[in-house]
Amino acid sequence: MKSRSFFRFDLIIFFAAVGLSIIGILFIYSSGISSDGVLQNNEYIKQIVWASIGIVIMIVLSFFDYERLRSLSFYIYGANIILLLIVLFSGDVVNGARSWISIRGIGFQPSEFMKISLILRLGVYFEESRNKYSDFIRFLLGLIQAAIPMLLVIIQPDMGTALVYFPIFLTIAFVAGVKKRYLFFLLAAGFLTVMFSLIPAWDHYIITEKSVELTKVFTDPNLMMIVIGSLIFILVLSGIGLLLYKRKYFYWIGYAIIILIIACSLAMGTSSFIKDYQLKRLIIFIDPQIDPQGAGWNMIQSVTAVGSGGTFGKGFLKGTQSHYRYLPQQSTDFIFSIISEEWGFIGCLAVFLLFLIIMIRGLYILLTAKDEFALFVGCGIIGMIFFHFIVNIGMAMGIMPITGIPLLLVSYGGSSMFTTMIGLGLISSIYLHKYKY
Amino acid sequence: MPQKFIIPKSRLLFLMILIIGSVVTYTFYLGSMQIVNFGEYQRRAKDIASREAVLLAQRGEIYDRNSDLPLVMNIPSFALYAVPGEMTVEQKEKLIVNCSEYLNIDENEIRKKIPLDSEGNFLPVEIKDAVQYEDIIFIAEHIDEFPGISWQSKPIRGYPEPGSISHILGYVGDITSEDLQILYNKGYNRNSTIGKSGIEKQYDLLLRGEDGSRMRTVDVKGRRIEDDLKIIPPRNGNNLVLTIDRKIQKLCEQALGERIGSVVVMKPSTGEVLAMVSYPYFDPNLFYTDRSKEVYTKLSLDSRFPFINRAIQSSYAPASTFKIIMTAAVLEEEAFSLTSTINCTGEKRFGDRVFKCHKHSGHGPLNLSSGLAESCNVFFYTMGVDYLGINKIADYSRRFGFGESTGIDLPGEVEGLVPTPEWKEDVYHTIWVGGDTVNVSIGQGALNVTPLQLAVSLSMIVNEGVAYKPHILKRVVDSSTGEIISEVKPEILRRSNIRKETFRTLQDYMRGVITDGTARYVITTKAVEMAGKTGTGEMGFEDKWDSWFAAFAPYGSSDPDEQIVLVVNVEGANNWEWWAPKASDMIMQGIFADQSYEEVLDEFDRRWYIRELKAREAAAAAEAEAAESETQDSVAQ
Repeated sequence: MKSRSFFRFDLIIFFAAVGLSIIGILFIYSSGISSDGVLQNNEYIKQIVWASIGIVIMIVLSFFDYERLRSLSFYIYGANIILLLIVLFSGDVVNGARSWISIRGIGFQPSEFMKISLILRLGVYFEESRNKYSDFIRFLLGLIQAAIPMLLVIIQPDMGTALVYFPIFLTIAFVAGVKKRYLFFLLAAGFLTVMFSLIPAWDHYIITEKSVELTKVFTDPNLMMIVIGSLIFILVLSGIGLLLYKRKYFYWIGYAIIILIIACSLAMGTSSFIKDYQLKRLIIFIDPQIDPQGAGWNMIQSVTAVGSGGTFGKGFLKGTQSHYRYLPQQSTDFIFSIISEEWGFIGCLAVFLLFLIIMIRGLYILLTAKDEFALFVGCGIIGMIFFHFIVNIGMAMGIMPITGIPLLLVSYGGSSMFTTMIGLGLISSIYLHKYKY
Repeated sequence: MPQKFIIPKSRLLFLMILIIGSVVTYTFYLGSMQIVNFGEYQRRAKDIASREAVLLAQRGEIYDRNSDLPLVMNIPSFALYAVPGEMTVEQKEKLIVNCSEYLNIDENEIRKKIPLDSEGNFLPVEIKDAVQYEDIIFIAEHIDEFPGISWQSKPIRGYPEPGSISHILGYVGDITSEDLQILYNKGYNRNSTIGKSGIEKQYDLLLRGEDGSRMRTVDVKGRRIEDDLKIIPPRNGNNLVLTIDRKIQKLCEQALGERIGSVVVMKPSTGEVLAMVSYPYFDPNLFYTDRSKEVYTKLSLDSRFPFINRAIQSSYAPASTFKIIMTAAVLEEEAFSLTSTINCTGEKRFGDRVFKCHKHSGHGPLNLSSGLAESCNVFFYTMGVDYLGINKIADYSRRFGFGESTGIDLPGEVEGLVPTPEWKEDVYHTIWVGGDTVNVSIGQGALNVTPLQLAVSLSMIVNEGVAYKPHILKRVVDSSTGEIISEVKPEILRRSNIRKETFRTLQDYMRGVITDGTARYVITTKAVEMAGKTGTGEMGFEDKWDSWFAAFAPYGSSDPDEQIVLVVNVEGANNWEWWAPKASDMIMQGIFADQSYEEVLDEFDRRWYIRELKAREAAAAAEAEAAESETQDSVAQ
């Protein structure tokens, strides 16, 4: 292992991160060029500055002993929550969400840094709580700590960023040994809630010809009350069954019923505050043609850009979709579309490979972690990177809903660049300090 | 100090497998998009990048049978567009405010077309059409005030001589989404203009032509990028020549004057419609102005229904004109000896009801010929009830084409109604009684015909057994070469097995109506010998009657070129003037003496109703002049 390290510093992740940042800068430059070759903005220069600062942060953090963060994590978490509250009242609105704080002209998004704060906090929490609480209470208290920032960010409203806290919690809790049935419960309830909330929109926009009778359950509150009522009745019956006969299957019936009850109730709740067009954006990836001029536009343009890239791409700065400006938000959410248009399958493969290297190398490092805090923090960071990767690239390929989640290290933006570099710095630090006791 | 712990290797392995599995899946999916389905996406990308500029096809013009001056033509005009996706919110705001201020467009309407949050929409949106050249110059001079605006030539329809012809020509408008759903496969699109009524609707496919396009690769700002210009020229629509004779149309329009009603003139030998007037009419030019909505609403709410073409879209009790059909039935069935008579005492009793004749003192003894000439109700009551019966009456009505559409090439024709005992039982669940037959015998009751149906039935009498399908389209002409593409041939609508002799006798009897009968004092033209029948329809009100006149001319002619059939209907809603025969007299005079309405008026100078008409017109003119000078005075002050 020494042969691959310089000052025992992990060069694999470092070079992969630098590589992705360079690709990012190249394509942010490309996205700023109009069809007649004129550079229309200086986003790429800003990104160079941010990437450079980010790399410095990463190197500095590598040599910083992460152990010191253990005692600070609670305060970092608390301070970040306060920042999120401040943002809600006096933040700047960007892209429809009140998510920015600016101090002397330099703006940043507390919700971005919350990812790291949450990872640190959960890392400490799950380490300390191992023998303190029962399994269930331990799970529940962790969930609450993740849910607080999630709610605060949803209110902004920035659904995309809020969503990221969920996989962070799941990954850490999973590695921390939380019972699989609790995690499955959470996943299933979350998944069904989303499904049930989307069904009315799906019925309305995609199955336009003939409404499916069954979807009325999700649009008619009275029917929903009947459904929930009967579910509760079954729950009570299975509870009685469990008490009287002590049979295991009563437990599992109750388990499934509670998932359904929670999903139904939450779906009913969401339908009252989520607006129609938001639902429409979420289901657009199923069939972008339902709104080709509006929400479906981005998806159609992005998918066309990706597919038309071919094996080798149209060449750097030669993409038609991007330079004729059909692609929206090219430098942020849809940067992968330009990469795949101009560099084709080969270029995409390079991006995939670099991300894979970071994630697998990260996990490999964690196998040698010297304490649970390091393990949990590392897994949280990898979970975060993984989630961003899957959702952003899935969106560019048209198989994930448009949620506004950037591709870490590559997409234009300082806050997410710093967050990622801090995360990678922490993993590096875990690697560097693995033998110190 | 941290406690000792065991690395949860299995759970870390699970994460690793999840990550690798996902990335591999994505790689395969990406490969399927970029390598397997590459061609499909490449085509799509090219489609998007090549902007298609539509080259609008010119809609065909419409001419009357002389095909010298167009009845409908295209007036140069422009449509304004903007592309919302390439404008900032401030630009949109500025454009919206200035458009509504300078171009007189409703602000809310533009806001609906260009929402401020429409940054994804890169297709041009039409802000306004029918924009005058002067307005375009103004915009071009103040282009900074109209950010993002562009324009394209989009001619509007112009009707140089609007009037009663509007009912025939119809008008055009923007396609509705309901229309589009049906017509999508026929090459229509969201920006298509489509005929909404009349010939414009009936022959829309012939008139519209096919839009061409100019393809070029552009960026979103519409700037050309490559030089691969590809032009598909538009195919202009065909010109149509109608059977309508502009002069006769005008003559009929003026002879009917401002009386609610309709006039049909057609050639019995071919089915060509020479004139078709329905009053009130509308001015379609107003639909292409800024006030179009207002005008349309006002016309729609008019209680006289100016959008209805009364010649084909209204049906009326044919009244005494129906006695022609009755006479034909009696002749053909030999139901009543031609020499026998019936004594009219002014009324006739059927069961416990008394039916009156229009002449309360009675006509005295009448045979079939004089019965028709005098239009004696008692005579035909007797024929209907005692000699024919409702089934034969209904049968002959159908043989003459009543209760069935004529198939004229105009949209919205109604069928009218021939009542029968079965029909009455179906609709009213009551039994047919003798009184019903009495009513039908004189063309009243539920019997309903359109003026055109009556004209077609008359043409069968003139042709002695053949009726041609009435039509408006004469020929289709290529608008660029002037070549005749197709010529509409006369088409037999109905061939009757009634004996020719019956028709000839009927013609004689109808001549008798003019020479010795009810029309002898009112039909006075010397220009032609006509034959016909008057009709006065009850409307259910005292002193309100529909006035009919159905005639053909020249009587006894065998030259198909000069034969015409004329039907005039003046609705009872007008003041009673017994106007239908008087209008017919003027129209026949005008057609056969080749005179205009004004010349006919001079010719008929002696007649009391012409003098009265002229006096009334003079008074109206004087009044208008007085009103005008008054306003001028007030302006001068």
